[in-house]
Amino acid sequence: MFSATTVTSTEQRIGQALDELFDKRGAEAADTRIVLSAEPYLDTAGEALRRRIFLTRGEGGENLCLRPDFTIPVCMRHVAQGADLPKRYSYRGLVFRQRADGPGEFVQAGIEDLGEENRATADARALADSLASLEACGVDLDGLDVILGDQGLFEAVLRALGLPEGWQRRLIRTFGDERALEKALDALSKGAEDILSELDPQLIELARDREEGALTRLIRARMEDAGLPPHSGRSPGEVASRLIEKVAVAEARLGADALSTLEAFLSVDCSLAKAGERLGEVSGPAGLDLGRAMTVFETRNLALQAANVDLNRVRYRAAFGRPIDYYTGLVFEARLNGASDTLAGGGRYDRLLTMLGADRPIPAVGFSLWLDRIGHCLDKGEGAQ
Amino acid sequence: MSLTLAIPSKGRLMEKALATLDSAGIVVKAGETRSYRTSVEGFEGLEVLLLSASEIARELRDGAIDFGVTGEDLIRETIAEPEEAVEFVSRLGFGQANVVVAVPDSWVDVSNMEDLGDVAGAFRARHGRRLRIATKYWRLTQSFFTRQHGIQSYRIVESLGATEGAPAAGSADIIVDITSTGSTLAANHLKVLGDGVILKSEACLIRANAVGRDPGARSMGDELAKRFGV
Repeated sequence: MFSATTVTSTEQRIGQALDELFDKRGAEAADTRIVLSAEPYLDTAGEALRRRIFLTRGEGGENLCLRPDFTIPVCMRHVAQGADLPKRYSYRGLVFRQRADGPGEFVQAGIEDLGEENRATADARALADSLASLEACGVDLDGLDVILGDQGLFEAVLRALGLPEGWQRRLIRTFGDERALEKALDALSKGAEDILSELDPQLIELARDREEGALTRLIRARMEDAGLPPHSGRSPGEVASRLIEKVAVAEARLGADALSTLEAFLSVDCSLAKAGERLGEVSGPAGLDLGRAMTVFETRNLALQAANVDLNRVRYRAAFGRPIDYYTGLVFEARLNGASDTLAGGGRYDRLLTMLGADRPIPAVGFSLWLDRIGHCLDKGEGAQ
Repeated sequence: MSLTLAIPSKGRLMEKALATLDSAGIVVKAGETRSYRTSVEGFEGLEVLLLSASEIARELRDGAIDFGVTGEDLIRETIAEPEEAVEFVSRLGFGQANVVVAVPDSWVDVSNMEDLGDVAGAFRARHGRRLRIATKYWRLTQSFFTRQHGIQSYRIVESLGATEGAPAAGSADIIVDITSTGSTLAANHLKVLGDGVILKSEACLIRANAVGRDPGARSMGDELAKRFGV
């Protein structure tokens, strides 16, 4: 079934309500084009996006796409114009994605908050404003599940457990992808001896003895044999040091205590008001010091309260995250109770702006609202105030 | 009433496809030189077309032909939901080749997809760009890397020929390509990862899902499928 752009009267009404709210919150409306270069999307969000966006080629062979979201063009616009920071940008307009369960075009609105060095304040503002936006649309906040996760805490637990760096990287990569995380934990608990059976014994010896120089020479000779370009891609030294690390990781063991502490942490799922206490119950007996990450978490909770967010309304799930590498800390989502569709979602993406060409790191956090889903819920009388 | 079947238009694939049809009692004579039409004996109303293997996959996807003989790799690469769009009537036992992930053999620290995921994850921070994969199989690559192995950070460089040369040419770091004996990969100093076989492909008889075909043509199609042991 095809349907033309059907911006319903409900969507129009909530659109206007949001424009007013965004204006009141001091966000500047940012216009962006609909036809965009696809490169920044494929480069930052990854190739997985390729099948979900509308991709075409320009006459010169360049990849173009129909705007799949606003975050990237809003950030690129900022990098190009170089406005003073901190700055909040708002947007509302059509985005285009291939999806099986709805039309390929729909309206999103949201705010991107760039350059606020006080991350707790900016994080709290993003979550508070997304809830205020839903309320302005006419959604009853009592009928919502709001879920919050924090990759920073997860990374701090891995560090505090003293896991080898190779393992930390592996687990961090899977954070937010439950199946992959489970698989990785399973592999860690079994140890990784069989990995070594795939390697040349001579190389294992050299790696065990940390003979980085000898390994590097050996690898360089192989690269030269293969005619690999010497100044692009992985260098011989890089391969050698990763091999040394790999052998060390394979021969290390994750103790049963460490594993059960990690599992206990990942299973924390409670109201944000009780999260500090629950995290203390996990980290205390294990003697873990979560250090700065815990301070960040608690400071943010205070900032949320200051922004009038009731911590009892928000659920903290330790395992909740997004497996995209530019997300760095806070992530959150709001859905109707028991429903699977996200009405609002956001998070902190401190790595994105440098990926998009900013000449220095710019802290960034934002959220977006799915106006078609919100409109649909309201029209059906679900979740309305 | 007629039914169309397309087979590869040249080389060993064509010969083997003709032999397969022959053993099912269908004798196909290629027409005059450079003609893509044929004369068919042994199945009333069957028209056999000679097309390129990749074109056969597209025509099956679009329902422009009823049957086709082509590689499973091309079907899975060309069609988003192959199980819905087409039916695999029979695996024909020739044209065997694997679609594999291969990396430079000097990457002694990388022997499986887990290693590759680790390298890909750290690539941007070290080299200022994503890990690049040369391939003509972007759909298979993306589904294997992302869906099966949760690897997000890489770029696909589309390659239309001599993919195995891409790492030495500096246009990509690793490749996803089809190989039957592995000798081309070895000659280019590439190794297949232990768990890097994406697909074990072979030539298959494929039937387009006959949406909108009339019952007559459908039962003719069923008759044809039966000749291949279904």
